[in-house]
Amino acid sequence: MRVFADPFDRLMDDLQETARPQREWVDGRGLLLIAGHFLSGVGAGGWAFSSALGFLPGEITSLVVVGLSGLAHLLFLGRPERFWRMVRIRTSWVGRGFVGLNILMAAGVVYLVLRAAGLGGSGLASVVWGLSLLGAGIVMLYKGNVYAVCRAIPFWNSSLLPVLYVAYALRGGTALLLLFLPWTPLSAEQGLIEVLELWIGLSAGVCILFYLTIMANSSVGAKRSVEDLLRGRVAAAFYVGVVAVGFVIPVAIGILNAVTPVSMGALALVGVASLVGDFYVKYAIAKAGRYLPHVYQAR
Amino acid sequence: MRYGMVIDLKRCFGCYGCQVSCKAEHATPPGVFFARVVKRESGTYPNVRKVFLPLLCMHCETPPCEAVCPTGATSKRPDGIVDVDREVCVGCRYCMQACPYEARYFHAKTRYYFGAQGPTEYEAVGYAKHPTGVVMKCNFCAHRLERGEEPSCVLTCPTHARTFGDLDDPQSEVSRLIKERGGEPLHPELGTGPSVYYLPA
Repeated sequence: MRVFADPFDRLMDDLQETARPQREWVDGRGLLLIAGHFLSGVGAGGWAFSSALGFLPGEITSLVVVGLSGLAHLLFLGRPERFWRMVRIRTSWVGRGFVGLNILMAAGVVYLVLRAAGLGGSGLASVVWGLSLLGAGIVMLYKGNVYAVCRAIPFWNSSLLPVLYVAYALRGGTALLLLFLPWTPLSAEQGLIEVLELWIGLSAGVCILFYLTIMANSSVGAKRSVEDLLRGRVAAAFYVGVVAVGFVIPVAIGILNAVTPVSMGALALVGVASLVGDFYVKYAIAKAGRYLPHVYQAR
Repeated sequence: MRYGMVIDLKRCFGCYGCQVSCKAEHATPPGVFFARVVKRESGTYPNVRKVFLPLLCMHCETPPCEAVCPTGATSKRPDGIVDVDREVCVGCRYCMQACPYEARYFHAKTRYYFGAQGPTEYEAVGYAKHPTGVVMKCNFCAHRLERGEEPSCVLTCPTHARTFGDLDDPQSEVSRLIKERGGEPLHPELGTGPSVYYLPA
């Protein structure tokens, strides 16, 4: 792998590639977008679970995380001062995600205020909570679709990707709650969260396996991306971040916990490892993206 | 009226004239190529073949870049030209990921061809019209079309490999070439309906 100090030299090199790697959404400031996608998924998943359990620290943290994701998205934009224009939801998944994120933030804050005012059981609170869940659902759903509609990048152009991103968002939500265990035990719900985390983690792992198997037998561009993931420039991020930290560690501790109960700290470690894995899944999938080749000729 | 272009791959010999004339016409900064030529070799000696593929925005009938744009900065004009309103673009670069023809470039920051020497007089004037933080692309030289002139890449091509005209007019040269020579767009399987057709080499 060649290293270029100057992005211009790298672009010139990329333009010679048969299937040019996409870099705008992962390198340099593109990392902010990956961070935004990661945080929005964790925040939306965290809100769905913690608000269902009525776990206030989780709810507040989730909204803060969603807010941070919005900030990361803003910093990624070339013209952040024009962010308010991103409301074209008829055909754009980015526009839908932006609207969903705002619904989640606004409804989430109003819901917490209503609860603090003692109106948590009111019909209005139920409606607002429903709205916040709608926003969370859109946020969890939009990211995978943003990638999946890109026919220019065969590796992303799969209907399985939105499923994978939703699975990881839900897993990120449970992982966020696990982080609270050493400080704020969730008593009755703890067992449920552990099982959910393990189950969703395994589901996400199966999803990735399916996804890579399909892509490995797909078009030339998608095959190149799978090669990048398994043997090429993204292999380190994939094996260390996604497989070892994000999958093997949480599942191993989860299975151990099923046999002999482990400490709260160990369960929090499951949360941390799952979150790291969640970030690396988004990073690796974005990094492995390559544009559709125009002339099928190896370099 | 639907503007379109036909590129005869038999005539193109990879001189990069279109690429250079486009850069001169639009004063595009380093790393931005509204028009470019891809060269590939195939086969093994002595049966080697070199392929030249001129690329530009295909001004698709159903442009995927337009559909994904969250602000509506990318739009399709009544004459078929797909253009970017640089005053509306937020620089999310979604259109770049959606375009199967890699025809879009993000202008992150102004840089000059001669680096530390600063801008040449030409660059100082030319780059002033390109705001940073937004996406740029070919617009079939819309400013030249308004003056009744052909796009700069068409005018420059020394082998007359490029023909420009109205695809909706069955009597036009572009329609005739497509019909008689079997013109095909790039990646027709994607259903984007490109307005640029290639005649086989």
